[in-house]
Amino acid sequence: MKKIVALLLSILITISCIGFAAAEGDITLDVIICQYGNNTNNWFTGTGINGKNYVQLFEEANPGIKLNLEVVSWNDVYTVVSTRISNGNPPDILNIDTFADYATEGLLLPVKDYCPDALYNDFFPSFIAQSVIDDTVWAVPDLASARAMYYNKDIFDEVGIAVPTTWAELEDACLAILDYYGGDVYPWGMDMTTDEGQAAFSYYVWNNGGGFVDADGNWALNSDANVEAVNFAIGLFNKGYTNPSPATQTRYDLQDMFGAGKMAMVITTNQLPTYLTEKGYSVNFGTAALPHNDGAASGATGVMDRVMAFRDDAYADQAARNAAIGKVLEFFYSPEMYTGWVSMEGFLPAVSSAVSYLVAADPSFEAWLNVLDSCQFYPTAKSEWIDVKQGVIDVEQNAMLGGDVKTLLDELQAKVAK
Amino acid sequence: MTMKSMTPAHIRKRNSWALYGAAVALAAILVLFSLPIYHFATDLYVKKSPNTFVGDEKYVKTRADVEAIAETYQNQKELGNVTVLEDVTQRVNSKGETTSLITFRVSATVDKNAWDFIASGLPNGRLLLFCVLALGASVLLLLLSLPGTFALIPQKLSRRNMAMRNAACALMLIALVLVPVFHFYTVSVFQRQMIDALTREPTPRLTSLLAATDALLYGGQAGDTAGALVAGLTYQTTAAFWLLLPSMFGLLVAFILLSRESLSHTLTRGLLYLFVIALCVVILYPYYVMLITAFRNNAETTDMYFTNIFPTKWIWSNITDIVNRGVPRFLLNSLLLSGGATLIALGCGIPAAYAMARMNFRGKKVFLGFVIMSQMFAPIVLLVGISQLMNVLNLNDSIIGLMLINAAFNQAFAIWLLRGTFISISPEMEQAARIDGCSTGKALIHVLLPMAAPGIVTTLIFVFINAWNEYTISTVLISTPFKKPITVGITQFSSFNMIEWQYLFASALLATIPVVILFMFIEKHLVAGLTSGGVKG
Amino acid sequence: MHSMLERRKWEPYLWLLPSILLMTIFVIFPIFIVFKLSFSEISKAGVVGDFIGLGNFKAAVTDKAFGTVMTNTLLWVVSVVGISTFLGFIVAMVMNSPFRGRKIARSIIVFPWATSLVIQASIWNYIINFEYGNLNNVLLNLGVIKDAVNWRASYQIEFMWECGVGIFVTIPFVAFCVLAGLQSIDNTYYEAATVDGAGYWKKLTKVTLPLVRPALTVSTVLNIIYVFNSFPIIYTITKGAPANKTDTLVTYLYMLAFYDQQKGPATALSVIGFVLLCIVAGLYMMISMRKEEL
Repeated sequence: MKKIVALLLSILITISCIGFAAAEGDITLDVIICQYGNNTNNWFTGTGINGKNYVQLFEEANPGIKLNLEVVSWNDVYTVVSTRISNGNPPDILNIDTFADYATEGLLLPVKDYCPDALYNDFFPSFIAQSVIDDTVWAVPDLASARAMYYNKDIFDEVGIAVPTTWAELEDACLAILDYYGGDVYPWGMDMTTDEGQAAFSYYVWNNGGGFVDADGNWALNSDANVEAVNFAIGLFNKGYTNPSPATQTRYDLQDMFGAGKMAMVITTNQLPTYLTEKGYSVNFGTAALPHNDGAASGATGVMDRVMAFRDDAYADQAARNAAIGKVLEFFYSPEMYTGWVSMEGFLPAVSSAVSYLVAADPSFEAWLNVLDSCQFYPTAKSEWIDVKQGVIDVEQNAMLGGDVKTLLDELQAKVAK
Repeated sequence: MTMKSMTPAHIRKRNSWALYGAAVALAAILVLFSLPIYHFATDLYVKKSPNTFVGDEKYVKTRADVEAIAETYQNQKELGNVTVLEDVTQRVNSKGETTSLITFRVSATVDKNAWDFIASGLPNGRLLLFCVLALGASVLLLLLSLPGTFALIPQKLSRRNMAMRNAACALMLIALVLVPVFHFYTVSVFQRQMIDALTREPTPRLTSLLAATDALLYGGQAGDTAGALVAGLTYQTTAAFWLLLPSMFGLLVAFILLSRESLSHTLTRGLLYLFVIALCVVILYPYYVMLITAFRNNAETTDMYFTNIFPTKWIWSNITDIVNRGVPRFLLNSLLLSGGATLIALGCGIPAAYAMARMNFRGKKVFLGFVIMSQMFAPIVLLVGISQLMNVLNLNDSIIGLMLINAAFNQAFAIWLLRGTFISISPEMEQAARIDGCSTGKALIHVLLPMAAPGIVTTLIFVFINAWNEYTISTVLISTPFKKPITVGITQFSSFNMIEWQYLFASALLATIPVVILFMFIEKHLVAGLTSGGVKG
Repeated sequence: MHSMLERRKWEPYLWLLPSILLMTIFVIFPIFIVFKLSFSEISKAGVVGDFIGLGNFKAAVTDKAFGTVMTNTLLWVVSVVGISTFLGFIVAMVMNSPFRGRKIARSIIVFPWATSLVIQASIWNYIINFEYGNLNNVLLNLGVIKDAVNWRASYQIEFMWECGVGIFVTIPFVAFCVLAGLQSIDNTYYEAATVDGAGYWKKLTKVTLPLVRPALTVSTVLNIIYVFNSFPIIYTITKGAPANKTDTLVTYLYMLAFYDQQKGPATALSVIGFVLLCIVAGLYMMISMRKEEL
């Protein structure tokens, strides 16, 4: 019996090894990239860069380094990565939003180990600061996006109201729009889905002087300001000012409604104009700062994703591996590659060398870069972030079903602080 | 009750009753046609007055203005009854102030009967005309077939008379169906076609629709304002309209009694066909959606005001686009994966099923329990375990690994079905073959397998489909883009910033067509295979 | 003669060997790993740690979503299996009676079976969209409705849609199993019943039902397993939102494992699900196959 098992296994192994023979001395890096848009796949592995792709160009420029690059949809990337970590074969280079868990569990290489100094100094310092745990930088930003409020100018003109800057004005504007259009237009877009509800949370709490953490950096989810802010947001939903199902209507749904003129205001990323053009919408829109509560400052939300490198202690030549990882980064952040990548997906850059190129190509970028300066980011460096992210979404969804916000946030705080 | 026992007296009595019934139903239909079937209300004038409270100065002034306007409309008799309506919306704003919006509406109501519609020249009116014509022709045909044959059972009717009565029934059925069709089409014309068309360039069709509506509802006085009036049109069907349905059904029943042996049999058949048609419509509906969405352009897929049933322009290049984005490769991978999984599942399953069907041994029940237990975990639940195993076997990122997994997870069904098939085949043939010197294996291959073909085909299909549809395991195990099966490959069309519905569905279409065609061809064998395999369980 | 007997003794096992090997390696071994994991600590990133006894189970069961999820799972399995069995039976009865176009109708009925669940779920998700979904478009065009209807007005309705899609894709399998059962019934049974003066209902309950029972048993057991483990429909349409109100055990544990990064409790839940399924399917088989020889 054992012999047969052994025989069978060896046959299988032989079969599966065919085609794995790489040239002597080559180093192969597993790379996982998240799928940001409909062009991501094509750019990295298809024919997106003048008939070639990133992998081809990189391998031509860096003989001896092979890339096994995989583009994974956001839907599946956590599944893929965590399954691979559980099995002890994490990718060498990973592009994702969170990093704290990987860092605190000792799976990551410090950025200093592989990132060339010139490149390191090119990143915006405020961005790098978001990836620090225990004074060590564990990941570098790959791109960023900023959120702003977009409003439909035609609707505002038609109803004859001003663009709201405070919550009180926002409510009045919603009411006026609702009365005027009688439900044909949703005054306010709200996305509290399982994918992105944490963004909605930040839109309200950061504009009410609240936040995820207090001044000392400790979790402060159930602060009075937060309770008030979430109650305000849920109030908008309960009064019928929002799209009908914020728990399942994603940002794309909202953007489509906005594009079709069925939504008067929506908070979304700086990529909205690209999206509207690509889908052929011709809506007359303007941007404004997020409305805030009286007495609180207006706070913008910034979102940043990262690139990180995993340890592979079994690899013989660590120095060569680190150097190879550095090469991948250098090539990616080189202006020819990076500006193409960032502008293709409509994101904001993370390195200063790209700014001049991007502003030259599209002057509207400059305004966004200023917004980015004032942005607050999620506290992703804290290892409980995942619990908090899913937790606040759960709070929002429960609150929409009639749950008490204070109780829900107290529960979440108790769970996270533990 | 069979017709053979019926005497001419019975027939005469039955037919007389049917004729009386028919006459009553026909009279009812004619009356209902002349009663109002639709109740229309047109907003002639709407005034939204903000910051107005009932009774205040602004209210009194606006109300007077509106009533003066109503007066002028009142003088145009053709518009119907003119009334003034008001809606008050009161709210408290964030500063604690009460706001009030009053909407005044000058509304004209008018009732229309079926003949009005027929005379109007509207396309929906034409449907009603066809309905009346069918009804008339049906009655006429029946009356023509009656003289001299009144006491005959339907079987003894001459061919000509029989054909006439059958045609009468068919026409009656058409008339009956046209009633709800008329209603839906009316709603569609007023609610959808005209109002949607009003926002675009005027077409000849719209102009003629508006003119006919003007003639029907406003006595031709609306002229250029007809478009605006139609936009504020509301309407309701009256009870008289819905009473048409039972009346016409009664007439149909009477006709069936006159021309068919058994009423209940005919009605049951009718219900059967109705059920089958409804079922097929429901089942085909998502495929219709898939088909039309696959050929729309990106903007049209999420167009909130999209009004056409089909794409305005069929974008065939969607197919070439997805071909360029690797879909054929994914399909090929899926084919390889499913084919391999099926072969392995059958290769392991046939001997096991053979042993289970033909041999007695200890632990047979234990093995059966083992097989069933192996099905209890969904592959998705075992993700971590499977992935770890594949690592050990060095089968990560390989289609072979996926084949083995899919084959393993389909063993239970394969063994169960094949075992049933083998049991249902008498062992005598194999025994005879073995006496002739065949080995057990040879007897199995040359004698049993050909006879068990339906069961094997069914198993094959089942495993193939399951492997073809598998998604989660492939997502985790396959990392090289060109090794992805189709279910994973299509996720690239629902990316972070945009779902490309047209590409998603075009790929889905390509993935579905081969399997559906395969299924349609083997449908007959499928039942046969399940019959032999499943029933004797 | 002696050697022949010896051979006979181990021969059946030889025939079973490939199948046993396949299942042991690719099914039982992963099950074993999952059982082991359910008693181990697993970090958020997915690193497997020490044995922690029933800790994961305690964490899973005491989560406030657990009750909702179990209720939903029960609702989901009972409604989808129950209704699709009932409707599938009717469909099979109809498809078994002769009528014009039966061949075409039968081919059409297999469609949902032959389409990937991921694809089906995506299509239905698109169809019921309030803003641009096809259902509103078609119904508006046909004049069946006057204004667009929000087909996803509340989570209860969304869950009903999910069950509906589940039923839609399950009916063909049931129908074909029953159809196979119906076709194996010898016509003489019906003739005998007719002679005894039995009516339609009597024939249905006394002849048809008992004779297709084995086929129904098999399709029901398999469906309980498949439906319980079904994942793409709910994941595509609502992802369990809002607040786990539309989650079933499988989607919940998937979200728990890969969104909330709580893999320990998630593996514990999969073991709980496994045990439940074993009990339910086992009981069902024992009750309905009591009289039959296995």
